[in-house]
Amino acid sequence: MKPLDRISLEEQTRLVSRYVAGDLSRSERAEFEAWLVASPELAAEVEMERRLRRGIASAARRGWLKRGSNAPLATDRRWASRRWQTALAASVLLSLALGLSLTLPGGTDEKPVVAQPRATLKPIAASLTFRLGSLRGAGGSPDISLVKAEAPQQLVIETDVVVLTCEDGTLELECPGGSAPQTPQFPEYEMDLVRRHDASLAWRSARGVPVVGSQLSFTLRDPGGLEAGDYDLLVRGRSPGHEEVVARFLMRITAQ
Amino acid sequence: MSSVPAEEIERIVAAALTGDRHAESRMLVVLRPGVLAVLRFGAFHRWVDAEDLTQETLHIVVERVRARTIEDPRKVFSFAASTARNLALNAARKALRQQTVVDSELVDELAQNLEMEQSELSDADDRHLAEAVMAMLEELPTERDRQMLTRFYLDGVDKQQLCRELGLSPKHFDRVLMRARSRLRTIIERRAPHLALFPRITAVLLALGTTFTFWVRPFDSW
Repeated sequence: MKPLDRISLEEQTRLVSRYVAGDLSRSERAEFEAWLVASPELAAEVEMERRLRRGIASAARRGWLKRGSNAPLATDRRWASRRWQTALAASVLLSLALGLSLTLPGGTDEKPVVAQPRATLKPIAASLTFRLGSLRGAGGSPDISLVKAEAPQQLVIETDVVVLTCEDGTLELECPGGSAPQTPQFPEYEMDLVRRHDASLAWRSARGVPVVGSQLSFTLRDPGGLEAGDYDLLVRGRSPGHEEVVARFLMRITAQ
Repeated sequence: MSSVPAEEIERIVAAALTGDRHAESRMLVVLRPGVLAVLRFGAFHRWVDAEDLTQETLHIVVERVRARTIEDPRKVFSFAASTARNLALNAARKALRQQTVVDSELVDELAQNLEMEQSELSDADDRHLAEAVMAMLEELPTERDRQMLTRFYLDGVDKQQLCRELGLSPKHFDRVLMRARSRLRTIIERRAPHLALFPRITAVLLALGTTFTFWVRPFDSW
C-alpha cells in the first residue's frame, strides 16, 4: 500500500470525493479504505465531504440553490423577465375571461372561468429533476419538496438504488473470474407514489429497465395536480413471480 | 477529532502486535474512526448499522492481533478494512433477503422502516448544515467557483466536463473542493460544533467501552 502521506492533498481531495460518490473501482476502494482505517484525519475528510454533499442537497431542497444553472445571474434576469411576461399574459387572459363570463348569458350553476386558475395559470417550469441517492428522508425531512402552485409540468426523479449482482444473482464484492458485479438485481423497476394520509396509491410509473452505469429515472407528469400532503415514493424491483420495495423516499407537497 | 498522525498510529499497531495490551487499547481507539467511515460510506452503507458493525470489526481485528498471525502493521489496516467490508456485505445480504414486501403489508412496513431510516441528523441540524453550506458558498471568491461546486454536487456534472466548460484546470478544481471542505468545517465548528465531531461523542464512549471490555476480559473467557 502506498503511504497516504506520499500523495498530494489535491489527490487526496479527489479520492475522497470519488469515494463518497461511489466512483472508485474495487481495487481503488480497497486501498482507500485501508488508508481510511489508518488515518482518522482522512476519515474526518470523508465525513466533511459527506456533510458538504448533504448540505448542498439540503440547501437546494429548501430552494436556496438552483439546479442546472450555468450562469445564474443572467438566467435569473431572463427568468424574471419571462415570468413578468407570463404574469402579464395571464392577467390579460384572466381579464378577458372575467369580462366574457360577466357579459355572456349562462346557467346559474356555471362557474366563472376565474374559479379555475389552473386552466390559465400553467406551471411555470417545464421540468424539474431530482436525483435521489443515499440521502433520504433524513429526520423526517422530505427528499423532495414542492409548492403546489409552483410545481413544474413534470417531475423527473432519478434514483441510485439498483443493486448490482453477479450473473447467478448472488451479491458479492467480486464475481467468479474476478469481475465486478454487473447484473441489476431486478430486470424491471417501477415507482409508486403513496399518500401517507390514507396509504392510497396516487400514482404508479411505467416499468423501467435498469441500465448499468446510468440511474433509474421516473417521470411524474403534472405533480401540481396532486393533493397537498406527504407522499412516500417507493421504488419497487420486479422480476417474474417476485417483487420488492428497494428504496423509499419522502415527497412533501405544500399548498403555499 | 483525533489528531494522531498516521506514523504514530502505525507505531501503536506495531506495539499492539507485540502483545502490548496498553497499545492494543490505544489501537482500538485510533482505528475506530476509520472503520466507522468505511462502514458509513462504503458500498453497502444503506443496509448496515455502522456502529454495531464497527464494534464487531474491531473485535475481529483484536482477535487477529492477539493471535499474532499478522506481522506488518499496515496489513492490520487492510485486514480491518476488508473485515468491515465483508461484514457489511453479509448484513446487506441479510437485509435484502428480508425485504420482500407485498402491497397489503405496505403501510405497517412503512411505519417501521421510516423509523429505521432516520438519519443521524435532525431537522434542525439539517438546516444548520444547509446554512453553513450557503455561508461557505457566499465566501467563495468567484462566481465560477460557486457554479463549480453546485454543478458538481447538485447536478452531478463530472469534473472533466466542468473544467472544460468553466475553463478550470483539474488542479484548480481539486483546490476549490479542498478549500470548500476546509472552510465548511470551520463554519460548522463555529455554528454547530456537534456536526463537526468525528467520531461523535457517543462513538468515543463506545470506543472507550470496547477498550475497557477488551482490557478486562480475555477472549477465552467469553
